[in-house]
Amino acid sequence: MLRRAQILRYLRLRYLGWAGLALAFAAAVCTLYLDSRVRSEFEGRRFALPARIYARPLELHVGLRIAQPDVEQELRDLGYPEVAREGEFGWFVRSGNELEIALRAFVFWDGPQPAKRLRVAFEDGAITALRDAVGAELPLARLEPLPIGGIYPANNEDRVLVRLGEVPQHFVQALIATEDRQFYTHRGFDPRALVRAALSLASDKIQGGSTITQQLVKNFFLTPERTLQRKVTELIMAVLLELHYDKNEILETYLNEIYFGQDRDRAIHGVGLAAQFYFGKEVQHLTLAESALLVGMVKGPAYYDPYRHPERALERRNLVLRETREHGSITMEQYAAARATELGVTRKPAMGTSPYPAFLRLVHLQMRRDYDEADLRSEGLRIFTTLDPRVQRAAESALTRRLAQFDKERRFGEPGLEGAVVVTDPQSGEVQALVGGRDVRYPGYNRALDAARPVGSLLKPAIYLTALSEPSRYTLLTPIDDGPFVWKSRGAPDWEPANYDKKFHGAVPLRVALAQSYNVATARLGTELGIERVLANVRRLGIEHDLQPFASALLGATDLSPLEVAQMYQTIASGGWRTPLRAIREVTTQEGRPLQRYPLAVEQAFAPEPMYLLTAAMQDVVREGTAQGLKNFLPPELAVAGKTGTTDEQRDAWFAGFTGDRLGVVWIGYDDNRPARLSGSAAALPVWGEMMAALAPEPLALAKPDHIELVWIDPQTGLRGSMGCAGALELPFVQGSAPEGRAPCSGGLDAAAEAVDATVQSAKNWLERLLGK
Amino acid sequence: MKYVIIVSAVLAGCATVPGPEPVPAEQPVPPPAAAPAPETAPAPEGVPAAVPAPRAENIAIAGLMENARADAAAGRLANAAATLERALRIEPRNPRLWQELARVRLKQGQYAQAESVAARSNSWAGSDNALRAENWRLIAEAREARGDAEGARQARELSTR
Repeated sequence: MLRRAQILRYLRLRYLGWAGLALAFAAAVCTLYLDSRVRSEFEGRRFALPARIYARPLELHVGLRIAQPDVEQELRDLGYPEVAREGEFGWFVRSGNELEIALRAFVFWDGPQPAKRLRVAFEDGAITALRDAVGAELPLARLEPLPIGGIYPANNEDRVLVRLGEVPQHFVQALIATEDRQFYTHRGFDPRALVRAALSLASDKIQGGSTITQQLVKNFFLTPERTLQRKVTELIMAVLLELHYDKNEILETYLNEIYFGQDRDRAIHGVGLAAQFYFGKEVQHLTLAESALLVGMVKGPAYYDPYRHPERALERRNLVLRETREHGSITMEQYAAARATELGVTRKPAMGTSPYPAFLRLVHLQMRRDYDEADLRSEGLRIFTTLDPRVQRAAESALTRRLAQFDKERRFGEPGLEGAVVVTDPQSGEVQALVGGRDVRYPGYNRALDAARPVGSLLKPAIYLTALSEPSRYTLLTPIDDGPFVWKSRGAPDWEPANYDKKFHGAVPLRVALAQSYNVATARLGTELGIERVLANVRRLGIEHDLQPFASALLGATDLSPLEVAQMYQTIASGGWRTPLRAIREVTTQEGRPLQRYPLAVEQAFAPEPMYLLTAAMQDVVREGTAQGLKNFLPPELAVAGKTGTTDEQRDAWFAGFTGDRLGVVWIGYDDNRPARLSGSAAALPVWGEMMAALAPEPLALAKPDHIELVWIDPQTGLRGSMGCAGALELPFVQGSAPEGRAPCSGGLDAAAEAVDATVQSAKNWLERLLGK
Repeated sequence: MKYVIIVSAVLAGCATVPGPEPVPAEQPVPPPAAAPAPETAPAPEGVPAAVPAPRAENIAIAGLMENARADAAAGRLANAAATLERALRIEPRNPRLWQELARVRLKQGQYAQAESVAARSNSWAGSDNALRAENWRLIAEAREARGDAEGARQARELSTR
């Protein structure tokens, strides 16, 4: 028995010995593996930095029409406090109608711009003087552009990298005193802390006791589970990390890695971004008290959130200060002074990944054409966009205010009306504002880009443009028949368009047919010109969409997004010059090295003369036609040109129009395509008008093309008149196309006879055309 | 026994450590196709030395124009174009800015844009015939560079009228 037991014991020992050896071997292999991972990853480790997106920089110069409060708002949005901080930059003060601005340095696409002091004087909504600190006149001052979001890594981690040397010494002291007092002496783990942790094995939870190195390893390489295996792996990797790298490298990486809480869906990482987010300053300017607050948050950023739990955060901060006094080298005076200060966090609204999600989506889509998605989310690119926050605010507030009002007046139930707005610069094609729905901060369905809706009468200008390109056949005065009309084509049901008022209006001058948006006259004109020809011009105007070659397309049975409509109207607003809409100006690397520019490109798509005539007719739409309601918002001197659009059963309400300096497109309707019972002029136009009124637009002044002459016309006879004729109009004509006869009211004996002749002639011409001769 | 626990913990930890993630390439971002190329094109001959100065009332425009010319002279053509676009945002109807941009596009070898932009300048030129003549000259040069001899001839004719 004894012998047998001895054998068994021997075997077991042998077995255990082999097993032990195998395990030791496996452990060695595993350690080697962990070692190679620690080295390769830590070495090649580059934090994924989101692409940072900026609004357009505000350029101040004498004569710029901008109200003082708008500049102040821009500075506040930039995080400039309204208080003088001598020796620092990034603040402003107001004294009466003057602003003194201490502008921070900024690296633009075309190079770095140093920090500087400015004095700006305002009068009557414009800048009247711009000077530097010593009073010398400045031609131009470019403010730093507002950050408006980013394209983030998958987990929405955001950070601003800092060097260890930039972090104030008191921050490091506070951190070490609080998180890892033995940091500079241990080898990756703290044995005493480990014993504490081991003792707590008895209970379910594994207690802290992690060194800074261990915390870094955990955040870097491991998932946050708390298991024994994790703890051991973490410990081994921490030791390996310490073998290969010095304390400063580890500390710097840690400072950039630590998590400091959430800004909505954006995760704040690293002390660089935390300094900006909580205190609106660069890390090197953090005070002792501010540093202590941030250090205190490391333990639990949500629990010690200074916004939601200010008392708790303050208590924790003071605890950190005490620890720092006991274990660091701050004096009692420093401690007392820091303890006495308030939390001091900035009071800025949460931004999340972006306050302008709709515009950001446009930027992202345009960037994806030229860049890898992965690079966008990790390389820290800086993207300079065309967004004008002032225009964006005006668009958002006009849309949300009006929609709320319509909902209240009509009570059509949930979900409420929706809408979208696009605003561009007619000369450069830059997109200044984009609103994708009434919940402007919600990054969901983007109606400005993704909602293709029937455009109704918005396509009509293409028909009139086609007609006006033939000055020998059509002028603004050419009578168009608005009598009953049926269009027959093989393989399609008969098409019998009707007017909005369900009436026919007989022969009306071309400009009136557009101004009143008569469907029947327009359909007849379009089919007379040829559907294909008209659609070819729609494409030349910038619509790349497939267009169905049906007659009904002429009256807007074509689905377009508000952005596409903006592209089409852009070509009209710029006088026939097609300019691709752009949301991005420039892209640089994180350090500011220029990568790419999206330059202004123009292409003449139409001769200037017909465009000039069309624009005049579209000004009539506002002056006397379907968009007259605009006079409730804007003075007539602005000579706005535009077009309303309303679709069947008023499911879609549109207005597209332009002033001298801005083009805007507004769509209103229900997502589920319910009839909204609101016309373009009742729903979309007020949004447009309210928005533009807030922006003090420039009047629309067109450059008169060479071959255009202005002729006084007597509206009664449609002949040449003079200013003396009742209701005389000055209308543009391509040279040689204006009526030759003179109206009786224009004076002169033979004028009357001439007038009769001419009337007969023009009636004859018109009849001939009607009969198709 | 404790040894066994630790080693097996290591092994288990080892097995569940997620594999290395793809590390981003060392090169930050490949320069896109349209990145500004080094601009060393020599100034085309025949550019008149004295180009009319921009309207004096806006010193912001004058300053930007000056910078753009300095950039263009130094061969920093992309910067010159960017600066002119800045000026055009302030005064989009200034034909001299459009003309200067046409000149830069020509130097950049972007002949189609040079021609379009010069024509855009013409559209705002009003009765300034000297300015128009210079635009037609730029158009002629752009057409020549594209191999459109007939178009260039026509433009040149317009430039001397």
